[in-house]
Amino acid sequence: MQGALRKGLVGWRVPVVGVSVLAVVGWVLFLGASLVFPKLAPVFWVQFAIDLFVLTLFGLSLNLLMGYGGMVSFGHAAYYALGAYASALLVKKAGLPMPLAFVLGPFFAAGGAMVFGFFAVRLTAIYFAMLTLAFSQIVFAVVFKWTKFTGGDDGIQGVWPIKALAAPPVSDNYYYFSLGVVLVCALLLYLIVNSPFGYTLRAIRENPRRAEMAGVNVRLHQWVAFVIAGFFAGVAGSLFVFFQGSVNPDYAGVARSTDPLIVALLGGMHNYLGPAVGALLYKIIFFYVGRQFPFLWQLIVGIILLGVILLFPGGIMGAITERRWRRLPFGRRKGVPTVAPGEVETPTGSSVGGGNGGR
Amino acid sequence: MDWLAENTPRIVVQLLSGLSVGVLLFLVSSGLSLIFGVSRVVNFAHGALYMVGAYLAYTIMRLAPGSGPYFWLALLGAPLGVALLGLLVEVLFLRRIYQAEHIYQLLLTIAIAFIIGDTVRTIWGAENRSVTRPDFLTATIPILGQAFPSYNLVILGLGPVVLGALWWVFYRTRWGMLVRAATWDRDMLGALGVNTPLVYSTVFVFGAWLAGLGGALVAPIQGLSPGMDASVIILAFVAVVIGGLGSFFGTLVSAVVIGEVQALAVLNPFLRQYDLVLPFALMALVLIVKPVGLFGRPE
Repeated sequence: MQGALRKGLVGWRVPVVGVSVLAVVGWVLFLGASLVFPKLAPVFWVQFAIDLFVLTLFGLSLNLLMGYGGMVSFGHAAYYALGAYASALLVKKAGLPMPLAFVLGPFFAAGGAMVFGFFAVRLTAIYFAMLTLAFSQIVFAVVFKWTKFTGGDDGIQGVWPIKALAAPPVSDNYYYFSLGVVLVCALLLYLIVNSPFGYTLRAIRENPRRAEMAGVNVRLHQWVAFVIAGFFAGVAGSLFVFFQGSVNPDYAGVARSTDPLIVALLGGMHNYLGPAVGALLYKIIFFYVGRQFPFLWQLIVGIILLGVILLFPGGIMGAITERRWRRLPFGRRKGVPTVAPGEVETPTGSSVGGGNGGR
Repeated sequence: MDWLAENTPRIVVQLLSGLSVGVLLFLVSSGLSLIFGVSRVVNFAHGALYMVGAYLAYTIMRLAPGSGPYFWLALLGAPLGVALLGLLVEVLFLRRIYQAEHIYQLLLTIAIAFIIGDTVRTIWGAENRSVTRPDFLTATIPILGQAFPSYNLVILGLGPVVLGALWWVFYRTRWGMLVRAATWDRDMLGALGVNTPLVYSTVFVFGAWLAGLGGALVAPIQGLSPGMDASVIILAFVAVVIGGLGSFFGTLVSAVVIGEVQALAVLNPFLRQYDLVLPFALMALVLIVKPVGLFGRPE
């Protein structure tokens, strides 16, 4: 009885769907704001938002592997690029209509992830990271060298969405389209990480050997997670190619692979919405600092990364949900997770110092 | 067979130049492998250290282009400078995260690589830089009728010297013994009363010194540009992973193999087109067949 009282209003959950009131209010506010945003903001900021949505989905897809599966992929851009190139080629070479190409593109990414992932999940920690990096370099080299088919260094230009999405005012319709796609994908990913499959994945992250002893087919789960993450990275890639109107080998570059890693770390990889918050911060820092000093952008990112790793290893979301805030009247209480029901919360202190780490 | 007879001189020269590439690659990747073996940290900043070595050597050699003494001074001074930088990095940042998860270690060294990379670009500029070889090493030496640069011969000669020195350090000194013990079981080493943080620091500094030496050696034969660290670090990783992380001998073998594969690929028009992919394809193949690399041991 006392426990129920202590939960208070903020922690109170709508009985049937089990969502906290705070979360509902937050989502309603967010959706309302994002619906009116293009009507109020200048074109530049609308495009900024589309860019942000794509990076968010890219970061969320990587975090399924990294935050939940404990698999650190250094070549996630491979599947982003596969999705983007597949969509672009389906429009340009096969002459498919854009909506069909957009839907089919991610399946090519998933196909690539199925092949590469089959080998990658057989390896542990560092070797896994290196093999995923190698695969992304292979994708990069192929699209870079296969000039006749992929356009080589120049890539493929003039890949635009159908008229309805590209109609003026410049990008409003594409904004709503990408908002919808990213929200649907984020919801699907959320359902996945909170399904029995998602919990098994977490068990594997914590202790693969023990999971195996409990009868879990560890490699199969990791493989499936790899393919799912590849698929959603492909969605992000397809979304981005129709926004940019072109694709080039940089889509598979190392920098593109480190982007979602940085975003997940910044926001906090042990929180479902961490990568989304990280993406927002990353883009804002880039806009206000990186554009002014393009030659010092990496230096700035480096210093921020150092700060986060050494001071807030849980990222922004980790810092917010940290112990000292919980004493405040509106903060979360012990045993009442408000962000992601059932999320295995990793306090700042113990996420570093976890000994042998990930897999 | 006719083709072989006709092309033997070219093949021999390619093999030799592949070997010199292998020696340079070994210098960089052996430091990487050493650091991993002891501290279990994959050092993404290793390429940046190599780049700093190259730029420091460039600066020293520019004081008197073509001069022999300044060349030796550069070979001596640049790696020392890089070793100092390595000490700074280890003491300030790296030693805080030895116990952390891999992801934090990887991202921390990436952050350091980013910071060093932009700093180098700020100091030396974004444009390509080059410096002439010392006068006594500018000649080419005919091998089977083909011209072979004498500088590369010196690198080839340096290979066995460095290898011998490393062997002596690791198998004939107390420090080397401690390093080998730390690679085997670092917790046990600490339990026996050895000052393991000191071992970690010195290993990192030594690895940085090796990277700096590789960079200094490459300065006179390659254009320097701020992006040079990325290409080197990736190749060095491939070498270390193929050989087996932490295995010294494995790194030597795979560095030479990668150098040769790349050099021989030049002879075939199809393979030449894909010379960028070959090391990765090789690495993917090795990892698929033997998940811990050729000479690695399971963790």
